[in-house]
Amino acid sequence: MIRRIAPLLACLGLLVAWQLASLALKNDSFPTALEAIRAIPAVLGDKDSLVNFGASLRRMAIGFAAAVVISIPLGLLMGRSRAVASFFNPLLMVIYPVPKAALMPIIMLWLGVGDLSKTLVIFLGVSLPVIYHSFEGAKAVEEKMLWSGAAMGLSAVQRLVRIVLPAALPEILTGCRTGLVLALITMITSEMIARQSGAGNILFNALDMGQYDTVFAMIIIVGAMGIVLDALFERLRARLVRWSEPQFDIPLSFS
Amino acid sequence: MIEINQVSQVFQTSARQDHLALSDISLTIQDGAFVSILGPSGCGKSTLLYIVGGFVRPTRGAAKMKGRAITGPGPDRGPVFQEFALFPWKSVLGNVMYGPRQQGIKHAEAEAQSRALIEMVGLKGFEDFYPKELSGGMKQRVALARTLAYHPEVLLMDEPFGALDAHTRTRLQNDLLNIWERDRKTVLFVTHSVEEAVFLSDKVVMMTRSPGRIREIIEIDLPRPRRRTELLLDPRYQKYIVEIERMFDDSGEGE
Ligand SMILES: Nc1ncnc2c1ncn2[C@@H]1O[C@H](COP(=O)(O)OP(=O)(O)OP(=O)(O)O)[C@@H](O)[C@H]1O
Ligand SMILES: [Mg+2]
Repeated sequence: MIRRIAPLLACLGLLVAWQLASLALKNDSFPTALEAIRAIPAVLGDKDSLVNFGASLRRMAIGFAAAVVISIPLGLLMGRSRAVASFFNPLLMVIYPVPKAALMPIIMLWLGVGDLSKTLVIFLGVSLPVIYHSFEGAKAVEEKMLWSGAAMGLSAVQRLVRIVLPAALPEILTGCRTGLVLALITMITSEMIARQSGAGNILFNALDMGQYDTVFAMIIIVGAMGIVLDALFERLRARLVRWSEPQFDIPLSFS
Repeated sequence: MIEINQVSQVFQTSARQDHLALSDISLTIQDGAFVSILGPSGCGKSTLLYIVGGFVRPTRGAAKMKGRAITGPGPDRGPVFQEFALFPWKSVLGNVMYGPRQQGIKHAEAEAQSRALIEMVGLKGFEDFYPKELSGGMKQRVALARTLAYHPEVLLMDEPFGALDAHTRTRLQNDLLNIWERDRKTVLFVTHSVEEAVFLSDKVVMMTRSPGRIREIIEIDLPRPRRRTELLLDPRYQKYIVEIERMFDDSGEGE
């Protein structure tokens, strides 16, 4: 019971803290939680902003899907083949520390401010954690499992698809979960830089015009989107890798 | 017939040193023979088995099966590993059915055969359990059933009963002997139990401490079918055991 309502309590606590903080600060650019919540229906009721949200979600879905489809096989191959790993590792090491949104201006020069640039940035943001976790997952697959498969007559490709992929799936999905959050972040930041459409566009336009209750309403909406997406993904993950979940919750005692 | 011809195995350790694991092993195993490999821990028993399985390529020498050089794993040689070999994302039934399905046997038929095998190893009722839901001994029995399911001509067993309690161990030894007497598969069986080796085998190959060499090959001339309770009273059986135990002691190689 407590476990079920704990997230709700956490959200509620956050809102209360926000309300108190903004009442105490009495700052124009920091509306109270209630004011922000009251502004939500206006944002969601507006047809224009719904179109913007739709565009954001579409880019995010395409970027995320493309990244997953390409990164999982690449990561798995890297995990099982030293040659592939030593070819791609340096490349990834170069890209890894660069904030993907920082590439946005350059990409915009090449591809314009439209969907393509933003989707590409989301793709890049999602790719790295998925590649990394697929790589680690594939590397950790027990040799005896692969040997057993080989003895049953599975070819190298079959072993990759039918043994390495399922065995590494829990790890891969961990990467996808990180990727999902990053997709949301890069989605917003890309729209902040290429201000042309999307949820980030609404948010930063409102900021420019000093409509702070709209700004904070957007923050709540984006946050809620993150929570819902993550919860949905967690459901899918739990279904896919039920076989690997730990049996018992070990109660930790701090006494 | 399996011929092992002057096989030596050198491993490169992580510290870049050469480690001689097997030295000049020559051994011939007749079709239908039950041969055990016995020796102190680390003498290369598993390595020798892996070479016959085609999982490890020997540094020097060669292994042949039916006159053809062994270049890789194949469904004619079925391994039963010590641990970590089951597919954790497959149920018990799924694991056992994997080999037959891979060989193109129809689902219904593979399932019927697999259920019979699962019953034989004493796991009726556990068909839908996942490996993480089984005890160590149960996993080992699934591993045996999974390998038997695709009917390899040669069984390569690496201490398959090592983790079992005495009762289950005896039962499975009897089951294995029954299967062997029915099908006359060739069995290469690694164990560190002298009693187990003598009870099961036609031939016991004693190895020396690392680097592994063949120290002696003992023909076990006891009547079959063997009954454990009868053998325990048989002076010939006792003599074999004492003789082999002495060899362990001689060189201070007792475990
Ligand atoms: N991949 C490897 N790299 C380096 N050394 C190895 C490797 N595999 C095995 N060895 C070494 O080879 C020797 C033989 O190992 P092996 O596993 O065959 O022994 P074993 O007789 O099966 O022992 P046990 O009874 O404990 O299972 C050991 O000394 C081990 O250190
Ligand atoms: Mg071993």
